[in-house]
This record gives sequence, C-alpha cells and structure tokens, in this order.
Amino acid sequence: MTTTTTTPALTITPSRVLRSEWHKLRTLRSTWITVLTSAALLLGVGILMGATYTSDGGDSDVDTVVLTLYGSQLGGIALAVLGILVTAGEYATGMIRASLTAVPRRLPVLWAKAAVYTATVLTVSLLTALLTFVTAQAFLSDTDQAASLTDDGVLAAVAGNAAGVTLLGLIALGLGAALRSVPGAIGAFVGGVLIVPEILGMLPYEAMDTVVRYFPTQAAGALGSATPLPGAASPGAALLALLLWAAAALAIPALLLNRRDV
Amino acid sequence: MIRAENLTKRYGDTTVVQDLSFSVRPGSVTGFLGPNGAGKSTTLRMILGLDAPTRGRATVDGHPYAAHRAPLTHVGALLEARSVHPGRSARHHLMALAHTHGIPRARVERVLALAGLTHVAHKRVKGFSLGMGQRLGIAAALLGDPATVVLDEPVNGLDPEGVLWIRTLLRNLAAEGRTVLVSSHLMSEMALTADHLIVIGKGRLLADTTVDELVRTSGGASVRVVTPEADRLRTLLPGARITAEAPDTLLVTGLEAPEIGRAAAAHAVPLHELTPQAASLEQAFMDLTRDAVEYQGASA
Ligand SMILES: Nc1ncnc2c1ncn2[C@@H]1O[C@H](COP(=O)(O)OP(=O)(O)OP(=O)(O)O)[C@@H](O)[C@H]1O
Ligand SMILES: [Mg+2]
Repeated sequence: MTTTTTTPALTITPSRVLRSEWHKLRTLRSTWITVLTSAALLLGVGILMGATYTSDGGDSDVDTVVLTLYGSQLGGIALAVLGILVTAGEYATGMIRASLTAVPRRLPVLWAKAAVYTATVLTVSLLTALLTFVTAQAFLSDTDQAASLTDDGVLAAVAGNAAGVTLLGLIALGLGAALRSVPGAIGAFVGGVLIVPEILGMLPYEAMDTVVRYFPTQAAGALGSATPLPGAASPGAALLALLLWAAAALAIPALLLNRRDV
Repeated sequence: MIRAENLTKRYGDTTVVQDLSFSVRPGSVTGFLGPNGAGKSTTLRMILGLDAPTRGRATVDGHPYAAHRAPLTHVGALLEARSVHPGRSARHHLMALAHTHGIPRARVERVLALAGLTHVAHKRVKGFSLGMGQRLGIAAALLGDPATVVLDEPVNGLDPEGVLWIRTLLRNLAAEGRTVLVSSHLMSEMALTADHLIVIGKGRLLADTTVDELVRTSGGASVRVVTPEADRLRTLLPGARITAEAPDTLLVTGLEAPEIGRAAAAHAVPLHELTPQAASLEQAFMDLTRDAVEYQGASA
C-alpha cells in the first residue's frame, strides 16, 4: 500500500468535484433513461403536432414554438425526476455518506451537482428542441403555422423553452436536496410547482393572476413563446423570475446541508 | 492518530454518546467494543464529520475531519450503513470518489485487486452479496492510501475466508504504521485482531486498555471449589468473593487456588476439587458491560 505513484497534490479542488459529479451522473442508467425519455417525448409530440395539424382546426392562434415544443411539458417532468434523483437519490441509496466523506465541506458537492445537471440538461434540451422544431416544421410548411428559426423571436423562444425546462429541473434538484426523499420531492414538485399555481390562477382575483405569471411553470411557458402570450410575463421578467426560483430552491438545501447530520 | 475529546451526542432527549474521550495511536489495531446500541457507530460518524457532536470534538491528525484538504488521504472509512449507489458498478463508484481528490485510475485498480473485486468491478453493485459489498467498502476506505483506517463492523457478512482476510489486512495496516480503529461487538474477534481496546457502554467509556490488561484486571479469574463442607469453608476465606454454584460447589474470586488449598488444609476441610478458572475475554467483556447492556435478553 505504499506503492502509490501519485501526482504531487492529492487535494480536493472545485474542478475535481465537478469531474466526480459528472462521472456519477453519466454512470447511472437512470440518467440515460430520463434524458432519452424527455428527448423522445419532445420529439414525438412535436412530430405528432406537426403531422396532425390543419390550418382550419382552430389552433391558428397558438404560438408556433409552443405548438411544436408542446412535448416539453411531459419531457420536463422526466428531467425534473432526474434532478431529484441526482440529489435525493443519494440519500435513498446511502451514497451521500460516501460523497460527503470524500468532500466533507459538503457545499461543493451541491454546487457541482447543480452545475453538471444544468450543463447536461440545457445542452440536451436545446439540441432536442432545435431538432424537434425543424422536424415539426417539415410537416407544417403548407399551413398557417409555417415558421423558420430565423423568424422574429423563434430562436429565442426555442432557447427559452430549453432554459425553462432546465431551470424547472434545477428547482426539482433543490427540492430533492432539501427533502432528501425521492417520492417526497416528486410529490412536492408535482404538487407545489405544477399544480398549486394552476389552482391559484383559477381563483377570481386579479392580483393573483399577476403573481401567478411569475411562478416557475408559468414563467417557463412565457419564455418558450415566440409571440407574447396573453396575461404572461415578458420573457426577460420570466427568465429573471425563474432564475430567482431556482436560486431559492438551491439556497435552502445549501443552508441546511452543513447543519444537518447525514 | 484519532482523538476524541468529551464527545457527546444527543438525539432529542436521549444521550447516545456521553463525554467520551480517548485517543487511537498509530502502529496498532485498536478495537472499539460495546454491546448493541452502545454508540460505536455514532462515535465513528462524528469522527468522520457526518454527525455533528452535541458537545466536544473529534480530531484526526490534529484537525477536525472536515478541515483536511485531502481527507481521503488521512482517513479511510467503512461505515456500518451501506454507502454505495447500487446502480453504479464497483469501478465507477471508486472512480467517482477518486476524482474528488485527483486519485489516479491505477490506484482504483490497485484497491479493487486488493479487495479481490477485479473480476466483478464492471458489475453493478446491486447484484453484490453482503460480503462483496463489505469488500467494496474496504476498497473505498483504502482508496486514498490513508494514514488512519476506521472500519465499522468490517467482518459483518464475511465468510471465514473473508474474516481471515480482514484480520490479516488489519494487522498489516497496523504493521505499516497506520492507525487502525475497528468496531465490533464480538470480543472473541477482537481478541484475535486487536492490541488495544476501547470499550464503551451506553455511550460512556468503560475501559481504555490492552487485551491482556483487560483480562487481568477484570477480576474474572476465579477458583472452583467442591467440598462437602462448603459453609465451613466460606468462613475460612475472609475477603474473598464467594458464590455458590451448588450446595457443595463454590466459585471463589479474589484468592488464588494455593491460598484456598492451604486454608482448607489448615482446618481439615476436605476438598474434592480445586480448579482455577481462567476468565475468557468474552467473560471479561460481559462483566465490564453487564450494567451497560441496552437490550438485555431475558434469561430463562
Ligand atoms: N439518527 C439517530 N436518531 C436517533 N437515534 C439514533 C440515531 N442514530 C443512532 N441512534 C440511537 O443511538 C444509539 C446508539 O446507536 P449506534 O448505532 O451508535 O450503536 P452501536 O454501538 O453502533 O450499535 P451496534 O453494535 O448495534 O451497531 C441507539 O440506541 C440508536 O437507536
Ligand atoms: Mg454500529
């Protein structure tokens, strides 16, 4: 055991923790399953939307990016599950004890998880969204939903869709880290992020509508539309709101991480 | 070198570890013993910075575990609870841990070989037996070539060959000058492996001693005396602790066999049997922890 021929400095560095988290992410089947599921849902629903669309079907006023990337709502759930598995999954399996023994200052692990997840999910979502838009448009060329990536606001909306999905997933990752339970975090995400704002939005209060448009799902919707949606936040405000939600969702487990026993 | 100073851990109202101070020195195997629920695992988790002490502190090589810039090179640990993602292969699990410190791939292969896991390293941990899981935990503990090794019940689930492997491994690690702390609730196992013993019960320190010393001082060594005049013999042995096993059989503690024999001869008490009973380590351990057993089985 004295035969280690090691590089001079064996120490923890932020880039090494990143590398470790990247290694962890790519060596689990659940990562591939959730990522491929989300891509398949986005592409599949996009093709379905394009292939079945008719100009006189009553959907002419639907934004073309919203229409073609409709599958991102379902695909986003798969990616949110991935976010939860990245954090809460380690508590469920006990892996967190190994992770935090290796990096006992703890916070770098959370930041690295968030960073690796964001980079991966944003890249995959963006590429899939571009592919889906272009593919769906191949079916839509003769309809009133014909559009190209170079049209006003289209590329920004496609990118916005991917950013929205990624930030929603980051919120899920934060919930997983705070609640330390996979089912608990999935419940909190579906209930608190997806359903509750819908219910609040249906209440007959003017002020409630204004508030709800800055909630995560609603903000993500505004980000992914090439034309302004009625009663939605502006893309800039929506992006800011989502970033703040994601920051808050990470700040809470970050504050708890060094206070709680593992 | 591990040092615990007044370590105390409370969960709610229950104090699980109380005012525990000890140090573990390099170059020998130190057994960490106590009955179930004594607080061994909790103490080890505090040493590793996983649980925060309610009071007191634990240091490794002079610093709290979390203060080390390369903790895996100071302390390698096998925890009681599984600490592996079952969906990852053994090699990827070790590689992920190695990356945090920049530990090279060759070292991962080395500890895999050392633990006898090379041929299953590509398999997901999900399919591992209890013993293979323990071996993976030990491979992870040795990953950083640490100066201190902390193992919580390492022989759990191992077959006789595995137990022997652990025993040899621990002896070798200590011989290389490392600090080795091993918990167990089996005194017999520790008797074969450990040089030094730290015994706790109900979270308190009961003994910090060597194996030999423990047997000697436990007061467990006694003499069995069979005599038809048991009652008369009792009166001839002042200062000894005497219990009656049967009407004609006494167990005498605190006096050696020759002294008892002499006293009996002097007063013409016939002896049918006079047998020194060597206290086993197991007995010494039971004596020590009798009052501190958390979950005592009712005896029939
Ligand atoms: N997180 C916790 N919350 C509440 N109680 C706990 C917690 N962890 C441990 N305990 C309690 O603390 C006591 C000591 O537990 P610990 O696991 O440290 O004992 P041990 O000496 O390792 O026992 P064993 O030989 O069975 O492994 C037990 O009564 C246990 O129930
Ligand atoms: Mg234990």
